[in-house]
Parts: sequence; C-alpha cells; structure tokens
Amino acid sequence: MNDSENENNNDNSNENGNESASSARVPLHERRRPWWHWHRVARSRQRLAVIMAVVGALLGALLGGAGVAWQAEAGPFADDRACWGALGRDDVAALFDGKRDIETSEVPITSDRIGSEGPSGECRLTSPRGRRITVQAHQLDTRFGGAGGQWADEFLSARLTPLGDGLLGMASDTRAWLAVPDGCIGRPSGIDTSGPTVIDMETGWTVYDDDVNTEDRDALARAVVKLVNHYMADKGCTSKIADPVPQMSGPPRFPDEKKDAMCGIKGLRLPAAFVHDGRGDTVVTRGGGPVRTCDRDVLFNHPELRLMTIEDPRLAILYERMSLDGAKDEVSADEQDGYGFVRDDMGLFQAKCQTGQVTFLVRAENGRHPSDIRTILPRYVAAEADRIGCGPLHITVHPHG
Amino acid sequence: MKQLMGGARRRRVLIGGAVAVLVAGAGTWATDTWPFDGKDTYCWGAWKEDSGPDFLSSDTLDEDNASRTSKETAPTKARQRGRCAVKLHSERTSSDGSNVAEETEITVTYGPAPKGAAERMEWIGGYLGDTSMPLPDGLPGATDGRQGLLVLPKGCDTEDGRPTTVTLDSLARSDYGDSTVSSDAGLGGSQSVARLLAAVANRAMEKAGCAPDKPLEANSPMPTLPEDDEDFFTRACRIRGLEFSEKASRDMEYQVGAVTRDLQSCSVRTDHGNGRFFDALMVAQPRLSALFDGATGSEAPARGWRGTGVFADDYKVVRAECAGRPLNVLMLASSVHEKTPYFAAFANAVARRVGCAPVAPGGSSR
Repeated sequence: MNDSENENNNDNSNENGNESASSARVPLHERRRPWWHWHRVARSRQRLAVIMAVVGALLGALLGGAGVAWQAEAGPFADDRACWGALGRDDVAALFDGKRDIETSEVPITSDRIGSEGPSGECRLTSPRGRRITVQAHQLDTRFGGAGGQWADEFLSARLTPLGDGLLGMASDTRAWLAVPDGCIGRPSGIDTSGPTVIDMETGWTVYDDDVNTEDRDALARAVVKLVNHYMADKGCTSKIADPVPQMSGPPRFPDEKKDAMCGIKGLRLPAAFVHDGRGDTVVTRGGGPVRTCDRDVLFNHPELRLMTIEDPRLAILYERMSLDGAKDEVSADEQDGYGFVRDDMGLFQAKCQTGQVTFLVRAENGRHPSDIRTILPRYVAAEADRIGCGPLHITVHPHG
Repeated sequence: MKQLMGGARRRRVLIGGAVAVLVAGAGTWATDTWPFDGKDTYCWGAWKEDSGPDFLSSDTLDEDNASRTSKETAPTKARQRGRCAVKLHSERTSSDGSNVAEETEITVTYGPAPKGAAERMEWIGGYLGDTSMPLPDGLPGATDGRQGLLVLPKGCDTEDGRPTTVTLDSLARSDYGDSTVSSDAGLGGSQSVARLLAAVANRAMEKAGCAPDKPLEANSPMPTLPEDDEDFFTRACRIRGLEFSEKASRDMEYQVGAVTRDLQSCSVRTDHGNGRFFDALMVAQPRLSALFDGATGSEAPARGWRGTGVFADDYKVVRAECAGRPLNVLMLASSVHEKTPYFAAFANAVARRVGCAPVAPGGSSR
C-alpha cells in the first residue's frame, strides 16, 4: 500500500490539477497499477484513439525509417559491411570458417583524374589468428609485358576453375578473380587496348598441395561475385550476376600423362627433358573457357612448364603487344591467322579466331630447353585450335640455332 | 465472434489493426507505390513511368509541348496477336532559332513469326543478325539496344506450330523542317531492352493465357558486342574463305556480331557500310531455331549439301543436324553477284567451329 501511495504522489506531482481531481475516481485495482500503465493512461475511448494514432505513427515512422536506413545501408546497418559495403558479416564469416572477429581495412575504389590507369582500390580482411585476404579492384595492365608477369602466374594457374556461364573469372581455394561485365562499364573500344577491370581476391598463404579444397573455393567464388555485383550497383548498373557455384566444374584434373599426350593433349609428345623428376604433378584446368592452363611440376606456385590457352578475347588482349614484338624469332603463319614468336624460355601465338583473339602460350621457368619450346609450340597450337573451334591452324617455327 | 471477444481483447485487436494500417501506409508512401504515385503505365501495364529508361521518364515531358501517348491492343485467348506503341513528341528551339520537333516511337508486337518464307528470313536476319547480341539468362532472343526479339515458351506456339514472339522496335528522329536526323530513342541500352522485352512478354502471355509458371527474367548482365565494324581487310569476320581482294574491299566493311554456340553473325557491306553485300547468320539455339521451321525445304538445296535447304533469289538457307540439334545457316543477299561460295565457306567454317561435320560440299571436318 505504501508503494501505491508513493506512486500516487508521483502521479499527482506530475499531472495538472484537473488530473489530480479525477485521480480520486480511479478504482482501487487501477491505482495499484503504475501511472504509466496503458490501462490507466488509456482510460477513455477518445484517449485510446489519440494514443493509438500517436503510437501507430511513431511505429510506422520508426519502421519506415529503419527500412530506409537498411536500404541505404546507413545507421546501425553500415558498420557490419566490409570491402566498400559489398560483404555482410555472414559473407565475411564464410571466408574465415565462420569466425566473426575479422578486421577490415580498405582504400576506396577510385580512378585517377584522366582515367588512364582505370579504377583501383584495395580491401583487406584480417583474422587475429593470422589469416588474411586481400581484395583488389584494378584494370589489368597490357603494357610492359605486365601480362606475362605475376598476375597471370597466380590468377591463371591451373588450380583455378572457370566460374562458367560465359563469365570472365576463375576461382580456387586461395585465389579468385572476376572481370566487371562490359555491359555495365562499357567495353574498351577498338583503339583502346587496355585490359579488363577485375576484382581479385588472394589469401596470403601459399598452398603446397595441388588438391583444391572445394568448400573454400566456393566461398571465394561467391564472394568475388558479390564484390562485382556491388561494384556494378554502385555504377548504376541494374544487372546482377547469379551465384556461380552450381554451374562450376570440379577442381582441376591430374591427367595420367602418356608419352604422346603431354598435359592430356593427344599427339603432344612429352620431351625427355620434361619427364617428371619427382618434383610434382601435372595440373590441368577443368571446365570450359575462358582459360585452360596446364601447369607441370609446380614448385612454390611456379610451374616448370606452363601451356596455356586464353579463349576470351577480353583477356587474350593481355598478350597482344607481346605477340607483335618483332625483335624475337618470329613464328611463320598465314598473316590472316595471327602472329607469334619464340625465344629460349617461351613461345607465344596470338591467333585470329572467329571468336576474336586467342592466346596460345608455352612457357618454361628457364631457357635451358629452347629446342623443346620450338617443338611444342606448333603442335600445341594445332591441337588446342582444333579443340576450341579455331582450326585448322598450322604455324611453323624455325629450328633452334 | 462478438460474444467471444471481451472488451479488452477487442481493444487490442483495434489497436493492432490501426497500427497495421498506419505502418502499411507509411510503407507504401516510403516506397512510392500505389496509391501514392499516380504514375502512368504502358503496353498492357507492363512498363511504368519513371521505371528506368529515358523514354518512360517523366522528365522528358518537362520540355515544351511535350507529350507521351500510347495505343494498345492486347492479345486475348481467342486472338493471339497484340500491339502497343508509345509515342513521344516534343518541340525545342535550335541554336539558330528554328523550331525542332523530336519524334520517338516504340512499338511492341506480339504474335507469330511471318508466314511467308522470304519475309520471315529477312525478319529473322533483322532481329538476330548484324550487331544484335543474345539476351541474358538463356532467354531465346537478341537485341542491339534499338530493337529486340524474344521467342516465347512452347505453350504460346500457334496451332500450326509456329513460335509466338515479342518484338520491340524503335524509331527516333529530330525534324528540322527541311531535314530529319535520326536520334536516340532513350531505350537505355541493351540491358534495358532485355528487361523491357521480358516485362512486356510476361504481361502479354498473361493476357493470352499462356504464361509459364515462372515469369521470364533478364537479370544477368547482357553480353556486349565484341568489336566495331572493320573497313581494312581482305578476310571478312576472320572466317577462312570469306576472302576479298584489296581492291574489292576498298569501300567495304564487315561487322562481326554474336559468336557463340547458339548464334553467330557476320555482315559484309558495300558502299562504306551503306549497301548489303551479304548478311550471314547461324542459329542453333533450339527455340530460335524453331523460327526457321517449315522454311528450310525438304531436300538438299544443291548437290553435295548436307541437310535440307532452299536457294532463293534473295536468300539462301540450309538446316543440318549438328551435335544433336538443328543448325540453321542463312545468308541474305541480293543475287546480283553469285554468293554461293561465300555461303558455303561460312556454313562450313561455322559448323567446324562448333564441332560438326561440313554442311557444304568440299569442307573438311576436324
């Protein structure tokens, strides 16, 4: 009873005189309720109606506001998103075995003033246990042999599987990349020989195992598609790339190489110098296009010999300048069929196929077997051209020396 | 019901109802949906004002004497044909003070492919050839951003088995009084046309009573034309056998269109792109292939050809089995010059590319 009296006092002190007069008429069971109880506040129908209107409007405004904030990814919804807002907490957790204590830092995606280098940006996801993933948005460089360099080495490796469905992208358990579709940002025009704009992801650790963990690969593939979709939405594009995982092929193959079928390509004789010396396996990309790579005897991510076919002209452009380099030993072919060259550690033929430019590349880690490169290139080009529908394609390479 | 509900309970229901109405109201207001928007719709309600492309934008009507009108006839179960047109008209004063009238017309047609073979071949080539690219998400059709074609599911086929299609055409010009210049219709590019086609197809199929369980969607990115036209060449479209002497090709150009397993096109033009030398097309996508049904004859078009075909005055068409489905090859050309060697070269090069036996005599397989 004491409590209730105290409350009544509070009530009276807070309300005006009219109210205190009416409080005398409050039934006993009502008095036991605190003054703010809705039964007491809503004593009459009119008051109830007013309260309902106010509460309803407030609730509506709150919900509406929350909805807008959620759509705009503002307010309490913004902090949780990583990598330019593209990845939600769950997406990040999926990349770190479900762990949710991942730190992120990023450099926004911007273009230099004249746009000559294309857009670029970087995002890093770091686990306190040391694992980290670096996400980069950049335009692939076709100059200074940039293509022959590290990016192609890592991101076109046979451990990666094409994302399928005509997408220009690939993924493994440690790397993933995807080109922003041309329909969104526009295709580089004929005179502009720049490479595609890609978003790629790399995990910091080196894998010594040729086998690819499919679960990790799928997580990276999904993430890279989310990143590109988000980038496209930012650019005002309305299209959206669907989850690629259901249509992706299995992890790479390890063909049982016969003497006359190097990399599983029939009729491609295996030179004695490249017979396995116990260093590693032969790994071949699985799935159709845009790239098929055969990496032999990989050591620390570097194959002793790589045979690679790039079917998609948007990516094959990376090797265009290099193929026109006249200083090296030229490959003889019908001028209408393409251009190429050989040197001691590599051979390259850039073909003009019905689909556009196609790159055929043979590359050794050193120049110790120049005559083998010269033997392999024409046979590789003939066999692969037939496989991808660019045959018949016959090129000649002058013997070494 | 009344008796079962006590006073307090009734009040709770009342409050709940009021809140629900208010929240719903706030929601529709926030998302700009009915009944707060008052926007117009076009083409049987498939397209809405301000839903994306410029020609549907209400800003376009801010100009002087600007108007947007539409006419439409919806298909019905009994009448499987429909047509709708959206017309834009506006006037402005050009820099020299004269009056310029801008006219835009976007037309959608729902119905079967033309019956006559010659007319149909020209119609197919017009929508699938030249710079048209396949629609995304496996939709059977193509667009070049100015026009487009979508073949509807089998359930909408006519009684005589021809597929029903939705086509979209646009016309835009600026009229300067003494001259007219063609302009941009404001369709918003190929991706937008793909969406417009899917939306209008879904609505038309509902009206015609043949809508599939799942509506058609064009969400994935639209492939883009890989290259511009090329005017310095001796081999057209990088296809062996489509060779021209340097002298002959001096005022010619070629355009490579789609090059996929389903669709491929190569156009060679004379007179710096203004005249047709030939338009070559390969169609293997099964629903697009159905457009050729009944027009490819019943026997080989000439000695040594595989499959069936017709060599007519204005076109040559052949259909042969390839990897378990029909491969159709079409060449539209006036018969002033003998184009059969080019047709044979195109047919065999394309068949070989997709891994099939030669179609024309003298070809070799892989």
